[in-house]
Formats: sequence, structure tokens, C-alpha cells
Amino acid sequence: MSEFFGPLDPQGRVPPQQQTRVAAFLASAHGALARQFAIALPAKLVSAWQTELNAQVYHEAEIVSLLLRATSWVPDLALGYLSVSWETAWFPQPTEGIPDQPLALAVGLATLAHAVHAGIRPAALLPREANANDPFVMALRRIELESGRLLQAQILFLKGPELLPHRDAISAALEHRHAEIRKLWTDALEGVGIAVHES
Amino acid sequence: MPFLSHGSYRIRYELDGPANAPAYVLVNGLTQYSELWAAYRDALVARQFRVATFDLLGQGESDKPALFISQDDQVAALHLLVDELGDGPIFLAGISFGGLIALRYAIEHGGRLTGLVPMSCFAELPPQLFLLGNALRTALILGGTSYLQDLLLPMNVSDQWLGPVLDQLDSVKRQGWLVNDVYALQNLMESFLDFRPLTSQLSSIALPTMILNGEFDFLTPRSVHETLRAEIPNSALVIIQRAYHAFTLEKPALTADLLARFAEDVLAGRWQGNKTVWIAPEQAGGELIPFPAGYDHLRAIPVQGPAT
Repeated sequence: MSEFFGPLDPQGRVPPQQQTRVAAFLASAHGALARQFAIALPAKLVSAWQTELNAQVYHEAEIVSLLLRATSWVPDLALGYLSVSWETAWFPQPTEGIPDQPLALAVGLATLAHAVHAGIRPAALLPREANANDPFVMALRRIELESGRLLQAQILFLKGPELLPHRDAISAALEHRHAEIRKLWTDALEGVGIAVHES
Repeated sequence: MPFLSHGSYRIRYELDGPANAPAYVLVNGLTQYSELWAAYRDALVARQFRVATFDLLGQGESDKPALFISQDDQVAALHLLVDELGDGPIFLAGISFGGLIALRYAIEHGGRLTGLVPMSCFAELPPQLFLLGNALRTALILGGTSYLQDLLLPMNVSDQWLGPVLDQLDSVKRQGWLVNDVYALQNLMESFLDFRPLTSQLSSIALPTMILNGEFDFLTPRSVHETLRAEIPNSALVIIQRAYHAFTLEKPALTADLLARFAEDVLAGRWQGNKTVWIAPEQAGGELIPFPAGYDHLRAIPVQGPAT
């Protein structure tokens, strides 16, 4: 087990099996976010903050599109049961302790997005010698950077004044989501010989 | 790897050196992690100190709360670590953000300490520091940890340090980039959003206090250290020559020597702060020089100081 992708091929590329597993996880997570943000997006914007919702939909879709094209896909038999567990985990979860159901659902989506954008760092799996000109390597770096920017919408929302009375419920839900998604991520990686360093 | 528990969070720490010796606790700066004190561990243990290092909440191997980190939690984590050290003499040193946490600890639990060393530190956020902090936070948000490092490196260390590593900066930044998560760094930075100046409480620090400030530190310049010197009764300000904000990284041998000498002086009853100003030697083991009488230590040119 290594903390990084590898062994790389002579051109500094990540093994296709590892590319496939990581890209499948990321496409599943960001695809779910794209779908859920799209459902939440009204046809006609009525508040300024909804412009950010629009941006999130298309950036998530861009990440999926990028993965589909940048990955060297190979058959991965484990993806059958893994993807079921991933897709189940992305189901909308209204946050407990918030009686307003639409708000609880919005918070649930924000905690999922926060956990994916903040907790999943695919570029940190790249070893020092990874080929910077390889599309998969570039794609992971782009996804990690973009995730840091997308994350800002979740931080602003979850720390916002509207949710101040629910701070404890939000903290608990967020820590739970982080732990849940971190476990899915580490399990997915372990199957292709990568041990994520737990902090 | 031992951990302390603060609520549901774990704080990674390390103790080195003889168990019954006087202890030094070293507190990280914002983007740091405890391994960066390795040279200090070696130097201070060799001088018969026990050394305690740890990762603050949100850093390194400690847990990273997902959304909220308060500075009160950091002080509480530090308190847990100090409790591990027994009843012997304890010296507390912190750099930058860690210096601020050390100051807050000294204000709240000064009776537990024997000496204090704030380094590149501040008790309030004057406009330049406030705006720089905001700009660095925006840099983190827009460009990630790597861009924040790109901005901090030339601010924090000298050309002499940067020159030889200029063609390998990615390697220099890599470990810091790996261990620091954007959201955790952002949470640490946002713990300043409700920051209240400590200046009015500094006079309650009765401890021997050695304030260290890099000669060319423009992130936390002389003026913010002057607040500490003026308000902490038994303090002395020591200016580290040709140094910037992160002199603990750039000049570990010199800084570790200054820490050891300070503690030895305090333990031997030789320390007299008297709010004096000193110039550190260029090399470890050299003599400290009193700042020339009559000149203003807040200026960058030799201007006569106000009559005292």
C-alpha cells in the first residue's frame, strides 16, 4: 500500500486501474451534486445567491465531463457494488434538528457538497514524479483547485446568519458527512493499492 | 503517535527529552505542522530540556473540524498539552498565529508557566495586518494552498534562503501543501473574524517574556511587537538580524540557542526584562547587543529616539 498513485509508467502516467477507480468515484460524487443542484435551481432566479447555485450546477457537470475524457478507462469489476454504495450515500438527507424541511434539505445538500469539495483531495494522491502534461494528472489538479472554490458557497451558506440557531445540528451533520464520505473514498482507494493518510 | 482529546477532536502531540527536565512547548504558525520544529527538538533536548510539540486543531495530524474552529479551542488544546508536562518549569514559545495562542494562554493560565516567548507575534490587528490577512485568505480561496504558499514564501524568508531553492520550490512547498487542507486553513484564518485585541490584558502577564522579531518582518513589523514590549512588564524585545517573519524556519540554530539561553537565565534568576531592546547575534552562541541608546528601534534608519 502506498499513499500515492503508482507505480507510474515510464511516461509518468497513473495506472489505468487506479485512474478508473478514482475517476468513477469522483464522477459519481460530482455527478450526484450536479443533479441535486440542478433540481434545486429554479427556472427563474429570484435571489442573488441563486447565481451561485447556477454556477455550481455547471462546474459539477464540467468536472464529470473532464473525468470522462481525461481518464484511461479499463474494466473494474468492483465498480458494480461500489457504485451502488456510493449512489446510496449521495441520497438527499435532511439535516436532523432543523424543523423547516426545505431548509433541512438544503443544509443536507450543502453538507454533502462540503464533504466532497473539502474532504476529497485527488491531487494529493499524485506522486512528485507524476507527468504534469498528462490529461488525467491535470484533471485531478483542476478538480481539486475547483473544489476549493466551489466549497466557498457551502461555507458561506453553512456559516451564514440564517443558520446560526442551528449551529450544533449543522456541525454534527457536517462531521458525520465528512466521516461517511472519507470512508467511502478510503475504501475505494484501498481496492487499488492506495492507503489514504488519515488525519 | 500520541493524541489528546478535546471534545470529539484529537490533538496530535509529541514529547521528547528527559521527563523531569524543564519543558519547552512550541506552538506552530498558521500553515505549519509540528515536524517543522525538528531542529528545535534536537537542539533543546541536547541542552537538557523536554520539548513538547503538537498540531493545532485544523493542522497536520490533528483533527480538522469541518466548519468552526475558535481560538478558545486552541487555547484549550494547549492547556491539555501543558497538563501532560507535570509540575516542573514550563516555557511556552509560539510563532505568529501560534504566538497569539501562546499570549492568550499566558493571559489565562500564566501561573502555570515559567517563561514566555512570543515570536513574530501580535496582540491586535492594525490596518495593514488586517488587510494582509484578508488578502491572504482570498488568495487561499481563489488559488488554494499552493498560491497562499507562493505569497507567504517571499514575505516570510530572505533572498539568501530562497536563492538556493528557487528552482525546487515545488518540493519546498509540497509537504505543507499535502498536510494542509484548504477548508481547515480557511477555518483557522476565519477564527480571526471575531478577534478582539489583547492589548489591554497584556499587563496581566507577569512572566519573564522574551519577544522575538525579525529585523525585516513586514507582515508583523516592529510596531506590533512594540505593543507587547510596552505592555508586558517583565519583557525584553530581541531583534533577529536580517530576518523576516518566519525566522524560526530560516534560523533554527540561532533561535533555538536564544530560547535555551532565555530559559537558562530565567531558571538561574539572571533574567531581567525591564522592557529593554536587544539585537540578537548573527550566529548561535554570540552575544546579544543592547539596542544603541538614543536611537529609535521602531525606525529603519538611525533616527534619534524620543527623550525618555
